[in-house]
Amino acid sequence: MRIPVYSALAAGVFALAVSGTAAAASGGMPQLNVHDFVPQLVWLAIAFLLLYLVMARSAVPAIADTLAKRQAKIQGDLDAAEKANEETRALVVAYEKSLADSRENARGVTRQQGEVDATAAAKRLGELHDRLAAQIADAEKRIAKQRDDVMAGLEQMANEIGQGAYAKLAGQSADAGQLGAKIATAIKGGSR
Amino acid sequence: MHSPMEQFEIKRLLDFKFAGLDVSFTNSSLWMIIAVILATGVFVMGMRQRALVPSRLQSVAEVGYDFIANMVRDNVGEGGKKYFPFILTLFIFILFCNVLGMVPYSFTPTSHIVVTFAMALFIFVGVTVIGLARHGLHFFSLFVPKGVPFVLLLLLVPIEIISYFIRPFSLSIRLFANMLAGHTMLKVFGGFVVMMGLLGGWAPLAFIVVFTGLELLIAFLQAYVFAILTCLYLNDAVHLHH
Repeated sequence: MRIPVYSALAAGVFALAVSGTAAAASGGMPQLNVHDFVPQLVWLAIAFLLLYLVMARSAVPAIADTLAKRQAKIQGDLDAAEKANEETRALVVAYEKSLADSRENARGVTRQQGEVDATAAAKRLGELHDRLAAQIADAEKRIAKQRDDVMAGLEQMANEIGQGAYAKLAGQSADAGQLGAKIATAIKGGSR
Repeated sequence: MHSPMEQFEIKRLLDFKFAGLDVSFTNSSLWMIIAVILATGVFVMGMRQRALVPSRLQSVAEVGYDFIANMVRDNVGEGGKKYFPFILTLFIFILFCNVLGMVPYSFTPTSHIVVTFAMALFIFVGVTVIGLARHGLHFFSLFVPKGVPFVLLLLLVPIEIISYFIRPFSLSIRLFANMLAGHTMLKVFGGFVVMMGLLGGWAPLAFIVVFTGLELLIAFLQAYVFAILTCLYLNDAVHLHH
């Protein structure tokens, strides 16, 4: 700031010297003509006052108003942009939250369904197992009965054979009770 | 061959008398009024739209406004706000007078010491009145630098007082002399062009071309210096900082 001021002063002094020489050569500076002072001063006052009124009354308020409006507009737009940005961020957060929730939900549903399926399968397996067990028991019972029948038939047949053989050998019929007991004992011992 | 000083002569275009005073409309008055009309054109016509996205002319007005608004804010602070229209008027008036003076056959009102001195004296008196009104007799502490031994004060206070009272002279002579010198110089070299003829005249002509650019810069710079010094003086009066 200081430098232009001083250099301007220096230029002025130099200029004064130049113009002084020029004035001396031509005989007098018009600037020093006292008769011209008053009209210049009066018109300076008029012109300056006019411009001051124009500036103070019209230009300065107009420009200040425009600059303030522009500033407000820029600030408003910036605020709106910031708000939109904020909303977008909130939306993104909400979206991510809902996405995470859905994922969690889906996982829960899958797990639950798995459990249901497993229970159903286990139940069906149990039923099958029971049915099979019942059939096996039934079959075993049948087998046992048939064996008993077979054994009973075998004993009777042995009795008859024993009776026949005794009658042929001894010529008389054997005591049925005694023979039966002996055969039963032999079959039991043999079946063991 | 015209004298280089002839361009500064005041010519009465319309003779007026008012209350015994000679208030004739002169070539100086004409160019002052043209400056005012053009400045009004830029600042009032340019701002007529008050557009949020400014037109070219509105941009010029806003740039000028911003330039001086920043200058006042930086150099005077908040206390300078109410003097801003005055500083803006001062800057624009001097700038337009200076630049219009570069138009061939025009007249430069600021090349007359009486005009620049009137403005400088108005500022000097105004600033002093503002200082006295704001601070009363305490205003005179402006002449007493802080933190200086008493013996030195005996020397420094008179210097401060002299430098204070020399302000209107330095302020007015700086502007006047710059305008006077630039225009004289152009005229002198213009004379050289004619004197040296078709063969040798090109050198001073080339100088004139370059110097015209420099003069335009000075036209702006002097308006700027005048305005910023006014701000500094105002700052002294408002804040008493030194």
